Amino acid sequence: MSKYELPKKFDYKNVNILKQFITETGKIIPARVTGVSASNQRKLTRYIKIARFLALIPYTDMHN
Amino acid sequence: MKKYEAVIILNPNLSSEVDTFKKDFEKLLNSNSFNIAKYEDVGRRQLAYSINNHNKGHYLLFNIEGDSERLIEIENKIKYNESIIRHLFISVKEHFGEDSQLLMDSKNRKTETEEIENNKVEKKSEVIEPINKAEDKETNTKEELVEQKESTEAKLEEDKNE
Repeated sequence: MSKYELPKKFDYKNVNILKQFITETGKIIPARVTGVSASNQRKLTRYIKIARFLALIPYTDMHN
Repeated sequence: MKKYEAVIILNPNLSSEVDTFKKDFEKLLNSNSFNIAKYEDVGRRQLAYSINNHNKGHYLLFNIEGDSERLIEIENKIKYNESIIRHLFISVKEHFGEDSQLLMDSKNRKTETEEIENNKVEKKSEVIEPINKAEDKETNTKEELVEQKESTEAKLEEDKNE
């Protein structure tokens, strides 16, 4: 099994799932690395950006 | 009628006034003919980055239903509420009746902390012991507790030295 697993239903509140798809510095990992389908990658980016706004996951590792 | 999810992050210093805020917010929603399908009090949570010098926030989730024009009015009123650090309204296709992952996470964390607190209570007054435990075990646990006490004291001393 690959390192990246995505359930059928997920949203911006599933912080632990979203954390799999960002690097240590907080960047979104490209789909060509994770092997996520294009439609799921679009969802992921949307939800990651929402979760960042709500301070559930960091934008970067440079936050003080 | 559209379905929305509202996330509101409250000032953590006002955690005790969550109920009053919730009532006010519900009044505001109802006066704008919004239905509340679900309400979740996630509780205090560590923020991934500090917002207005706050490191923690009290998260509230609402599943609401209403007209988009009225939502703008609600948002305009919320904008200037100083007890709210951050808010977000998202339109969704469907409301899921289940508890959100955020709430479940916070519940898990609460049970963990409660267990730790219970252990503390047992340390302080050994009277509050679960009835299930056999008497033989009690003596063992007491010995363990003494050891734990010593270890905690050692830690405290280390902290002081630092």
